[in-house]
Parts: sequence; C-alpha cells; structure tokens
Amino acid sequence: MMKKKLLSVLLVATMVATVFVGCGSKSSDSNSTEGAADSTAANSDYKIAMITDSGDITDMSFNQTTYEAAKAFAEENSVEFQYYKPTEDSDDARIASFENAVTDGYNVIVVPGYLFAGMIAQVAEDYPDVTIIALDCSEFDFSDAGMDTLPENVCSFTYQEELAGYMAGYAAVKEGYEKLGFLGGMAVPAVIRYGYGFVQGANDAAVELGNASDVQVNYVYGGQFYGDDAVTAQMDTWYSNGTEIVFACGGGIYTSACEAATKVDGKVIGVDVDQSGTIANQYGDDSLCVTSAMKGLAATVDATLTDLFAGKWSNYAGKIENLGIVSGTDPSVNYVQLPTETWSMKNFTTDDYKELVSKLYDGSISVDNSTDAMPATEISVKEYDNIH
Amino acid sequence: MEDYVIEMLHITKEFPGIIANDDITLQLKRGEIHALLGENGAGKSTLMSVLFGLYTPEKGIIKKDGKEVKINNPNDATDLGIGMVHQHFMLVDIFTVLDNIILGSEPSKFGFLTKAEARKKVMDLSNKYNLKVDPDALIEDITVGMQQRVEILKMLYRDNDILIFDEPTAVLTPQEIDELMKIMKDLAAEGKSILFITHKLNEIMEVADRCSILRKGKYIGTVDVANTTKEELSSMMVGRNVKFAVDKEVAQPKDEVLKVENVCVKSKLHSNDSVHNVSFNVRAGEIVCIAGIDGNGQTEFVGALTGLDDISSGKITLCGEDITKKSIRYKNTHGMSHIPEDRHKHGLVLDYSLEENMILQRYFEPDFQKGGLIKKNEMRKYSDRLTEAFDVRSGQGAKTIVRSMSGGNQQKAIVAREMDRQHELLIAVQPTRGLDVGAIEYIHKEIVKERDNGKAILLVSLELDEVMNLSDRILVMYEGEIVGEVDPKTTTLQELGLYMSGAKRDDRKEAK
Amino acid sequence: MEKTSFFKRPAVQTLLASVLCAILGIILGYIILCFMNAEHAGEGMAAILTNFFKYRIASTNTLMKYMGSFLVKSVPVILCAEAILFAYKAGLFNIGVAGQYTVGIIAALYTSLALGWHWSLCLLATIVAGAVWGFIAGCFKAFFNVNEVIAGIMLNWIGLYICNIILGGEKCMNQSKSETFEISDLNPAGLLPGFLQDVFGGNQYMTIAIPITIIIAIVILVVLNKTTFGYELKATGHNKEAAKYSGMNAKRNIILTLVISGAIAGMAAGLYYLTGVEHFKISSSVPGMGFNGIAVAFLGGLHPIGAIIAGLFVEYITLGGQYLNTNYYNPQVADLMISIIIYLCGFVLFFRTILNRPGKVKVNANAEPNKTAKKAEEKEV
Repeated sequence: MMKKKLLSVLLVATMVATVFVGCGSKSSDSNSTEGAADSTAANSDYKIAMITDSGDITDMSFNQTTYEAAKAFAEENSVEFQYYKPTEDSDDARIASFENAVTDGYNVIVVPGYLFAGMIAQVAEDYPDVTIIALDCSEFDFSDAGMDTLPENVCSFTYQEELAGYMAGYAAVKEGYEKLGFLGGMAVPAVIRYGYGFVQGANDAAVELGNASDVQVNYVYGGQFYGDDAVTAQMDTWYSNGTEIVFACGGGIYTSACEAATKVDGKVIGVDVDQSGTIANQYGDDSLCVTSAMKGLAATVDATLTDLFAGKWSNYAGKIENLGIVSGTDPSVNYVQLPTETWSMKNFTTDDYKELVSKLYDGSISVDNSTDAMPATEISVKEYDNIH
Repeated sequence: MEDYVIEMLHITKEFPGIIANDDITLQLKRGEIHALLGENGAGKSTLMSVLFGLYTPEKGIIKKDGKEVKINNPNDATDLGIGMVHQHFMLVDIFTVLDNIILGSEPSKFGFLTKAEARKKVMDLSNKYNLKVDPDALIEDITVGMQQRVEILKMLYRDNDILIFDEPTAVLTPQEIDELMKIMKDLAAEGKSILFITHKLNEIMEVADRCSILRKGKYIGTVDVANTTKEELSSMMVGRNVKFAVDKEVAQPKDEVLKVENVCVKSKLHSNDSVHNVSFNVRAGEIVCIAGIDGNGQTEFVGALTGLDDISSGKITLCGEDITKKSIRYKNTHGMSHIPEDRHKHGLVLDYSLEENMILQRYFEPDFQKGGLIKKNEMRKYSDRLTEAFDVRSGQGAKTIVRSMSGGNQQKAIVAREMDRQHELLIAVQPTRGLDVGAIEYIHKEIVKERDNGKAILLVSLELDEVMNLSDRILVMYEGEIVGEVDPKTTTLQELGLYMSGAKRDDRKEAK
Repeated sequence: MEKTSFFKRPAVQTLLASVLCAILGIILGYIILCFMNAEHAGEGMAAILTNFFKYRIASTNTLMKYMGSFLVKSVPVILCAEAILFAYKAGLFNIGVAGQYTVGIIAALYTSLALGWHWSLCLLATIVAGAVWGFIAGCFKAFFNVNEVIAGIMLNWIGLYICNIILGGEKCMNQSKSETFEISDLNPAGLLPGFLQDVFGGNQYMTIAIPITIIIAIVILVVLNKTTFGYELKATGHNKEAAKYSGMNAKRNIILTLVISGAIAGMAAGLYYLTGVEHFKISSSVPGMGFNGIAVAFLGGLHPIGAIIAGLFVEYITLGGQYLNTNYYNPQVADLMISIIIYLCGFVLFFRTILNRPGKVKVNANAEPNKTAKKAEEKEV
C-alpha cells in the first residue's frame, strides 16, 4: 500500500516535471521564432510598451485610449508592442513593470497618468536609452516626486482640462439643461480642472442666457475611478431630485451615472474620449450620452510616436507640454474638444461650438485653471462630501 | 454442518509494534446472540473493524453464508447486511429521529424526499420490536437509551440481518439495559444474528447463547453460555481468577474533610433547581457514595462542587476552608482531586500525548516548568513513573497520543494522575464506567487503598454493584435531593431501589 | 513500534498535502493558460515560474533587487498567517486579522506621518493597535460569548472606516495624489532601518522587517511547543472543557490569544507600511491581506515555519503574473491562479485525509509495549 502511495506521489511529480519540461522546450521554440521575426522587422529598432496605471486597458477611458493608440501605431509600423500591468497600485510595482519591459527589450515606454511621475523620477536616469512618453504628468507631479527637470529621454504632456470642462458645461446650459451635476473620480488635479471648468462654462452660459438664478450644479467626487453601489445611490438621489444631466468625469465611474440616469431618462456627459458609442452600446440608449469633454490622448500618442520614429525626438526631449487649443478655426486639431462627429445637441449647434472655440482661442473667453477653490459663480453650486 | 451466517477464519491484523488480532476465528450462527468477550485491548474492536471493512487483515478470510467475501470498506459490509451500533452514536443531534434513520438511504422520487413511506416502515419496525421511538423527536431531546434504539432502527431500516453491538450497555442506566436485553432477544427470535461485544459478565449470562473470548489479541475459546459460569468466563478473559467482591477493612473515619451545606444549583433546562438543598459531609478515611439513577442531579452537583458549573446557593467547606467561590485551579491545588464522569469531555485532552495529559493540572508548578518553559525531561520522567505504577499501557509510551489509547487505559491514566496529586479529597465519578473486569478490580483496589491512606473519598456511581461493594456510607439522590442515607452492610438492593425510584425517602435532618 | 511509516507521520502528511495543493494549483493554472491560448501556455507558465529570475541574465544586481522586493512583499501575508495560526492553535478562528492589520496601518502611518515618531515607536504603536483590536474581539468572546468570527468581521469594517477617516485627513493623505504621503519625505526617521540593502541590489525597502518576521515565526514556534503558555493555549484549543477542568483560565486565555494574534497582525502592517513601499489609499473594502493570511496559514500546514514557505510561494506566484506576455494573456491570470491555489488550501485537510485513507481510520486501541506484556505474564505465573 505504501508503495502504491509512493508511486502516485512520484507520478504526480513526473507529471509536473513533464509540464515544465514542456514549457521549457516550447518557450525556447517561441523565442527562436521571435528572434526570426526580429531580424525581418527591419523597420525600426524601436519596441513599444505601455504600462497601465491603477486601471486596466478595458477602462473605456484613459488606459484604453492610450493602449489602443499605441497598439495601432505599432501595428502600422510593424514593431513589437505589449502592455504591462503592475501587480498593484504603487511606485514600486510600476518600476517593476518598467524594468520588466526594458528587460524584455522594449525601449519606448508609454505611460498614461499622473501616477507615473514617481516611477519616472526613479528610473529615467538609470535607463537613458529608454524613451519614456508620459501623459498627464505635470511639472508639479514631477517636482513632487523629486525630479525638477526632465532628462532627455523623457517627455510629458498635460492638458488644459478646464477648457474641455468649460465647453461641456457651456454646451449643456446652452442646450437648455438647468439642473446639472458633476461626478468626479478622485479629486486629483486633472479631475478638479475638468470640474471647475465645467462649473465656469455652465455659469457663463447661464449669465448669457439670463437664467443664472435657475441653473444649479450639484458637485461631488466619488473618491475612486470606478462606479459602485454607493456612487449609484448618490446619482439616483440626484436624478430623482430633478438633476437632468451629469458630467461623469473619472475612468469607469460613468457606469454609476448611466445606471441611475437610465432609470429616470436622465442624461450624462462623457469624459476624456468620445464615450457616446460606448455608452450607447452598454445601455442601449443612443441619446443617453449627450456629449463628451475630450482630451486628445490618442492624437498625442500617435503624433509623438510618429515624430520619434521620424527622428524628431529632440522636439520633445525633456519637455512638458501643456496641450490645449491650437486652432481657433479647426476644432478637430485641438487637444481639448467636444466630439463633432457624433453631435447630438440641437439648441447648441456645431456652429455655436466653433464660435466658442474661436473665442477660447483668441482669449476673449478666459478660463481659470487653478485647482485651489471652487470658482465664484452666479449660478448656485452645491458641493457634496466625497462619496468614498 | 452448522448454519453459519458469518465466519471469520484465522484473522491476523498487525499494527506497528503489536499484533492486535493473532489467528482469530469467530463463527456466528444464524439467529444466535454471540457474545465477544475480552478485556480492553484484547482485540475485540479491531476484529469488528475488520468485519466492518475499516481495516484490511494481513491474513485470514471472511465467509458469508459459506462463501468467501471481500470487505474493503463499510459500504461492502452494509451490502452484505452487516450493521453496527457504535459505542459512540453516529447521530445528527439537530435532526429528527426519522431523518436520522433514513439518512444515507433517503427514499426519493424525482429527487424529492418521500418520507411518508419511510415513516411507515420505521413505525412498523418500531412496533414489531417494541422500540417505542417518537419519529419526530429531535435527537438532542431524547435520552441516551432512546438514541441507541434509533441506532438499532437504523440497522433494521436497512434490512441488516447481522447486527454488531459494540459495548451497547456502557452508556445505559440499569432500566435501559434491561430493555435493551429484551430487544436483543426479540431480534434474535426474529432471525437476526447478533454479535455482542462486551465485558460485562452479567449481561452475557443473561442474554447470550454462546460466547467467544479473546485475550491480548489471541483467541482463547468459545463456550456455550448455558454450560458455564461467570467465574469461568472471567478467568478465561483475564487469565486468572477474579474476585468480584472488594476486600476492605471496616472504615476508620477521622476528621471531616468535605462539608456540603444546603447546596442548590439552578437547572439549565427548566426553572426548578436541578440540585436542591444538598447537605452532607465526608470524613477522612471513608468512602461516601452518592447513588441514584442517571439524571437525578448527580452531574450538576459534582459540577458545582468542583467548580465546572455555577453554584446558586449553599456553602462548601474543604478541610475547614470555605471554597464555595474559589476557582477550579484553587480547588485543584488545595486538596481536591477529581476523576470526572466523562473522560473524553473533561478528563483528557485527547490530542495531547500521554505525558502532556499527566501534567494537566500541574504544568505550572516549579517541578514542571522554569521561566515559563516546560521541563520536558521532568514531564517524561513523571509520566513514566505514573504509567509504571498504575500499569497504564500505550503504544508508544509517554508520547502516545491519548486518543489512540484504549478507554480502559485512558481511564487508568486519569486515575493515576488524580491519585498521585496532592489531595485530601478524591471525587470519583463513575470511575469504572466502560471498563473491563480486570480494570474495575484494579481501580476499586486503588480507591480502597486511598481510603486506608486517610483520604476522604466521594464516589458517584450508577452501578449498584459498585455502590454496594465499595462504599462505607450510601447517599441516595433523587430529583436533585438527598432522599436517604443507608449503610451498605445493612441495606438491600431492594431498599436502595426504592430510594432511587423515589418511592421511599427519609425525613433527613440537616447534615450532621 | 518506532517504525511509524514515513508517509504516516503527521508532519510529512501535512507537508505532502501542502505541496500537492500547490502543484495542483500550478497545473490548473497551466490548464487555464491552455484554454486562453494553448500555443503560448508553456511559455506563459515558464514566465510565471521564472518570475524575477528572468533578470539573472541582465544583471545580478537587478535580480537581487527584485528578490528583495519579493521578500519585502511577503512579510505582511506571512505575519498575518502567523497571527491566524497562533489563534487557531488555541481554537479561535481570528478572521479579525484583516481588521487588526487595518488598525496597524492607521497606527503605522499616523504615528510616522502625522506625529513624526521614531520608527521604533511607530512599530510599537502598530503592535499596540492590533492588540487593542484583538482585545475587543477577545472580550466579546470571553464575557458575552460572541463568536470571534462575528466580532472579528464587524471590527474589520469598523477598522476600515476609522482608517479611511484618519488617514484621509490632511496630515496623512496627499490630497492631490489620493494616497498617503511618503514617509521618507515627511519623517525619514519613521522608516525602518535597512537590512542588507547592498546585497539586495540597493533595494531601499529591504529592512529589518525581514529578520523580524523570521524571529517572530521562531518565537511562535517556541511559545507553542515549549512553554506553559503554549501548553495552555493548545489544550484550550483541543478541548475547552478539559482546559476548564484542569483549572486553566479560559477567559484570560481567549483574550490573551486574540491580543497576541492581533498584535502580530498589527505588526504585519507596521513592518510593511513603515518600509515606505506601500501607501494607503481610501478603500471601500477591507485589505485582503488578512484573508490571504488564512489561506497561507492552512497551506503552511498551520506550522509557523510552514507559513513562511507558503507565504513566499503565494507571493511568488502573485508577482509572476506580471511577467506574462500580455499579447496572449491577461495578466490577471496570475490572480486567478492564486485564487485557485488559495481555494485549494481549503483542501489541504482533505488531501491529508486522502493520504491517510487506506490505513487506520482510528488508531488502534490497544498497543501494548512488550515489556509490560512480559511482566503481566510473569504475574500470572
């Protein structure tokens, strides 16, 4: 009997060994094929990798946009691409992902989100041959992480979210909505800029329309970048008390706003990318998402990579660019915009939108980008405590 | 040729270190009650485990109705119609009697239970054998005797015709034993074959047709009960002559050691007291016994006395000191030793080794620890000394896990521990419960020796033989009260029975 | 009689069961990989198992650095497992370890960030905080007979919300990053002293937490097996009634056990957060560390040293997930594998039973040393 047991244990051990031996041979096989692919891919010496922040590449927002843009570029130029997901939300884990990617041979790393400032501060100088393209990391983020000037192999882009927020708020009020809501993710600077811009836009539109006393904005941060029961409950309260439209501003938190909105035929405004298609698919309601406050993440990734491949890295090296409105006449080239291709608003038309953009461009409208305090307004703004 | 239902031929089963069964042959006739007699550790349980498929023997074969069969697990045994009532019942406390009986072979249609049929079958069986069970009572609410009858019904429900009873009377009151004996006879009369494992000679004499005797793993012989005597059986069992009466001198009581005054204990089940106004004393050098039918407050009283349960009023004095409100540890270290009623529940940590159990109340004493570290060597030495002195047998000596020891040796270990501890008063509750004749004799001798050494002894027992043989004074407890005090030398079993059943009571004065 | 078969020894069986459980988890993980993308499954499994050893080619320094990270991250789960098994030996299922760990986080970060204490005091504070949390559960159990699982779960949530409130304040939380400040920025003295950082590729998070963890495990081993206190605890765990019978103070032991268990759990948080490797973020769920500790404790066979090995294993696989090629696999596969392994941990006892089966179900009855047998025969004569 004992022998039988010993036998079975041995058997299991052998099985495992076989599995691993199998692994070994397979992996060496695939390595060699990869090597072959490498030599034929003479297009470029670059290999592109992306590291996700606290979210995933399916967040329908920041990570996903960056991922898709970088991947599309890599495929177009037939270079290798892979994304890396840190084991947890910490600098240490992000550094591990970075070094992992570098060890795998990737030399262009795209990192979306302010969270990466700490990682960049620690690795950039150790890996001068690796190009790092950061999105949304501000000067403040870097200095906070202990890096005052960026090394040559790093560039970063920030956006004037307050402009996108302003446009969304302005459009919503002009369209005729009076009871507005702002649902932020976590109270990080980018989200605050969106929010304060939204409030300023709504205020200016109401002043122009002369109904400032009727327009009201509920304002809250969820404290997280995803929706859950507590957030949905808050949204339910808002919508059932008359809120008509909510600017859901923070990663996956839009799900809570959408769930609540569908119950009472409310509306939402998307963020970062044109979310109308996604939301329409997800909730089966084409009119749910009225518009989106977009920033041109995909455009940035594409343009930067293109320039890098074209040998124009020096335009970016060591710089932090603050992207906003670059054209008063063609809104589609701007890095902050509303989606004109899926325009659904009737009272506020694309022509009105173009006029707004040109005013923003020429400075006849200025938007405050401070994140210190809620802007003073004539409309009433009701601030709620963070949900989480 | 004889009509044998089951034959176990030349069974040998070895365990590391010992041969538990050495070439044992057991033949069970159809419709007989066959007793299997042996001391604790003689190999009875092992043999039955082989029959029930729990162990595979190294040598030997098993035949059913003359044909050789393989029994590899209990399911095989059940298929062959072999059923077993274990010493410790295998019942689900919170299920009803009916649910317990059908558990494992639930009648069902399309996945839904069809209890009506089962109920009918159970009730028929119950009436046929006069088992008197209420199918809707919860197991936790019924008496031990009733639970045992549920176990029997379980076997009958599965149409078993070979029934093994593993020491079935160890947990029963005298009345329940009588009932069981009758049930067994009825079963045999209906053609069931019964294997009856026991070491109580009276029961064998009363109920069995034949008896096979095992000793130290060896087969000694099979006798017709009608042609034998208790004395013969016992000498075959232990290999020498055993005396049933306890030799003892007349007691020489000295100073009062324990004084109990007006002790009351609240019942956990109902609003009345489970122990009411109990007063008595025990003096050095005498054995005072509390007799009574099980469930008349003895357990609760001992609980209050030792500190395991709360006392609601009254006063307990030990060696002149009021210990009513003292902790168990204080009592343990100030002259009280306690052989508990339930050795598994209270007396032992079954998953501890023998040596660890030996120092259960003494591990904190300087003899066994220094700076919080247990002195393993001292523990080992102490344990070895006690096991040697009290003849406690175990597979691997001091480091044997107690769970693996036989019941008798577990009890001996407790007795050894409690007698060796510094004490003036020994409280022995059912000290020989479930033990074989040899062990009983031994423990009785030890208790008398204690008395003669000037210790006070409070014995609580349900066994009338023990009560009559051992005690110097008998107190009878009925419904939580002491209803009489008798002298064992002048009283009769009949008189004792009247007190125990509440038919007679003294108008006792307060304790002397 | 000394020849207890090798495979029958409880220690060997526990070990085998745990190893079997781990291997089975890996095989199941492999099967999952096969389902997701059969062609690259071997490569994927190899990536997980090779783990940070992939750096061995690039640089020993990097390798050692990640080895260090691996050790650092294993600390809290190992200590949580120690806390759980310690209570478990005394018959208490301390599911409140998660909460005790959480209040440990409060103590660690509040004392170091807001109060600016020296690391030794911070660490002491975490121990006290965890102990207090354990004490509350213990009192409920001892005096009101509230099941420690219920009390523990409630206290977990209470701890979490207190944590969110205290650490969410301005003094601890970097509002713009929504996570707690760097201890190294505000109060460098609050960081644990380094330990062999040079050996481990200059890993700044390698601290005395590592040796302390090992010392704690050894201390627990000694306490459980050599001391009167351990003797009492185990007796209570095995048989509460017998412990009471023998005069042990059950109430005191229950409270003391949970206090110590809580202290270890609080310390787990201290030894993790005071390295600076982790920050606290406002959370809507109780940290999983305490719950993973349960699995690790069981995988480690409820043995203090076994828990170390099991903790390292679980952390190793967890870290392995990031090395999967994301073009073929979702990196969360590793989390899935860990979940499976953790789930399988529940079967450790089951595996033990299987290993045990063909032999004795209940150990025999009546072993009898030859010496006494002989003596008995002599007596007969």
